[in-house]
Amino acid sequence: MSGAGNGRLLRRMLREEWRLHAELFGGRFAAFPVLVTAVAAAGCWLLTLTGTGLEAIAVGLHALVVFFGLQVGTIGLVGRDALRDVLGDVTLLVFSARTLPVTWRRLLATFLVKDLLYYSALFLLPLAVGYAVVAIEAGVPVARVALLWVTTAGAFTLGVGGSLTLAGIGTRSRAALLGIVAVATVAVVATNVDPVSFTPLAVYADPGVDTAIRGFAPAVVLATLGPVLFRPADTAGTRTAPDRYDSLRSLLGGDGVATRSVLEVARSSGSVWKVLFSMGVLFGVTALLVREIGRATPLDPSPGIAFGTLLGLGAFTTYSWVTSFDDASEYLRYPVSMADVFAGKRRAYLLLSLPAGLIYLLGSLYWLPPVEVALGAVVFPPVAVYVFGVTTYVTGLSPNELLFDTPLFAAFSAALAVVALPLVVAALVRSEMPTTATGIALGVAALAALVGVGLARRAGPRWQARTRLQ
Amino acid sequence: MTAIETSDLRKEYGDVTALSDLSLSVDDGELFALLGPNGSGKTTTIEILTGQLEPTSGTARVLGHDPVSDPIAVRRAVGILPEREDPPSFLTPREYLRFVADVREVADPDDRIAEWADRFGFAELLDTLSTDLSEGERQRVMLAQAFFHEPDLVFIDEPLVNLDPIMQAEVREHMIDYCERGNTLFLSTHFLEVAEQVCTRVGVVRDGELVATHDPRTLDDGEQLLDYFRREVGRPGGDASTASAEVTAAARAGDRSADVDEAATDGEDT
Repeated sequence: MSGAGNGRLLRRMLREEWRLHAELFGGRFAAFPVLVTAVAAAGCWLLTLTGTGLEAIAVGLHALVVFFGLQVGTIGLVGRDALRDVLGDVTLLVFSARTLPVTWRRLLATFLVKDLLYYSALFLLPLAVGYAVVAIEAGVPVARVALLWVTTAGAFTLGVGGSLTLAGIGTRSRAALLGIVAVATVAVVATNVDPVSFTPLAVYADPGVDTAIRGFAPAVVLATLGPVLFRPADTAGTRTAPDRYDSLRSLLGGDGVATRSVLEVARSSGSVWKVLFSMGVLFGVTALLVREIGRATPLDPSPGIAFGTLLGLGAFTTYSWVTSFDDASEYLRYPVSMADVFAGKRRAYLLLSLPAGLIYLLGSLYWLPPVEVALGAVVFPPVAVYVFGVTTYVTGLSPNELLFDTPLFAAFSAALAVVALPLVVAALVRSEMPTTATGIALGVAALAALVGVGLARRAGPRWQARTRLQ
Repeated sequence: MTAIETSDLRKEYGDVTALSDLSLSVDDGELFALLGPNGSGKTTTIEILTGQLEPTSGTARVLGHDPVSDPIAVRRAVGILPEREDPPSFLTPREYLRFVADVREVADPDDRIAEWADRFGFAELLDTLSTDLSEGERQRVMLAQAFFHEPDLVFIDEPLVNLDPIMQAEVREHMIDYCERGNTLFLSTHFLEVAEQVCTRVGVVRDGELVATHDPRTLDDGEQLLDYFRREVGRPGGDASTASAEVTAAARAGDRSADVDEAATDGEDT
């Protein structure tokens, strides 16, 4: 395909993405960038009230964007089956390698470029503008804000390219994937190399030609390697599977919905490893964030509360996995209530998310005091329960519809912020007020769990009624 | 005994009327099919009768249960196969039918799984991931789940879609046999030959209205169900009352033994 052909394909993919969101969410989706700007500005302002510096907030934004990029990059893990189940009978250009004279790799590479352009404009630019509202008022030069947009775009590329490359290696050899992750981890720990210096954040912290080359190169390399290494899951041919239903069902108390959900996660691309992977990413990003805030500000954040909070919030991704293959209308054919369906989803969600998060917390005993780890282990499960309650109540079985559905996204963000903000503040001030901060963290987590249980109970009747009226 | 009875069933979406005052009665042992153009209200009717959708007004009884106030009881009693629905991608047919057994509270399902897999020709595919089955193979699994708990009434939206000719013939025979044993089938289909060959009665819907019902076995020599169907819905711009009046006139003239629904002959919008 010629360069002009690539350009046409890219333009059509961009148009397709826009039409997909416009079709799914109607006119409401056009308001999404405005909402991101407002949330970013409000978040920055609230954090400055707690004494957090703008530089530390910029670090946090980079971490958030890397995480977002990693999630977007899991398109390689999700595959067409999940997309069909989530979006209905939708055919995207990226899956047209069998009918068009374009290779799978070229389609995926163009899809990647499309994602980078699309989300840089609709998500990262509003994020930078929201930051600018507070930063320029505080005397930060406009050039720094412009640099923030460029480096967050680089961070997004790093995230997307990173997860796609890891997924690509995983589709060829799981042993190789585990080996590479292990070697990278050991290299960072043993050689004392600072991994942040190989990210766009280093460019933001210290702009220069050398740092730019070192900071952006891994992002470019990973974004190139991802499409080259990835092999689509649907080329595997006819596959059989041993009957695992009964044995798993007995472990899950005879719950058919939970059994089916866990089997679907385990059998789909990435298996249960994708849960561990997304939790690991969140854990790593949180560890870097805590370290950078400690370096950039006089604060000494509590890693335990930070890990417990962010792993709990990140369990949203697990809910997304356990509902990836669901359509609420299917359950309306069976003699089960939506309350029963959500109860099954809760079992599957807790079974997958809690061990995955707790493994990382246990691993942190290597460098954290046991008290901090214990604090994280106590905060994490209640926050995960709260996230489940909020997500089921607001989105039902379609958590992915949060993306670009502005009213849903606003309601969801506000509900999470109500719990996340006091926990983040408690984490930031625990070194100054240990007893008070610990009490606040434990109290907020316990209250959140109660609210989460209540919301989850209401989600069944709410979605039962909604689905039957549609 | 009456398996299904509806009275003035209506479904509106804003200004759009998807179903208009449907009054219908289907007896035990009937093989009833709704015929109609795309968007005429066939799927909406099935979704309301099976408790998946609430009507805007009107009442219904399905095997003695009210699908509005007690949808779970209806769904427990009937089998349902919607159009274009596949078994879960990452479960095998065996595991999916075990799941169906769980939610339908069928104990010891192994023998039933083997029996239905054999009947619908997917015994050798029981341990294949559903995502790797062909469209026709998936449809066979979905047919099995609809009959799996041996209900007295099954609703099927397009029973033969994606099936090869041999399997189509076998499913036709199964449907006839199922109703001859006193069970009831309620179909929605575009396949006129299905209605012509297996159904004991068809209902024609147009723009959300039931315009007539008819026994396809009583067509005159040389007449096709397609002619009847065209007469009822095929005339662009025609309205239900005109079509119904023509059927009524034909019946009265005795030029064919049309079993026209009494309500339709009265010119009601059923």
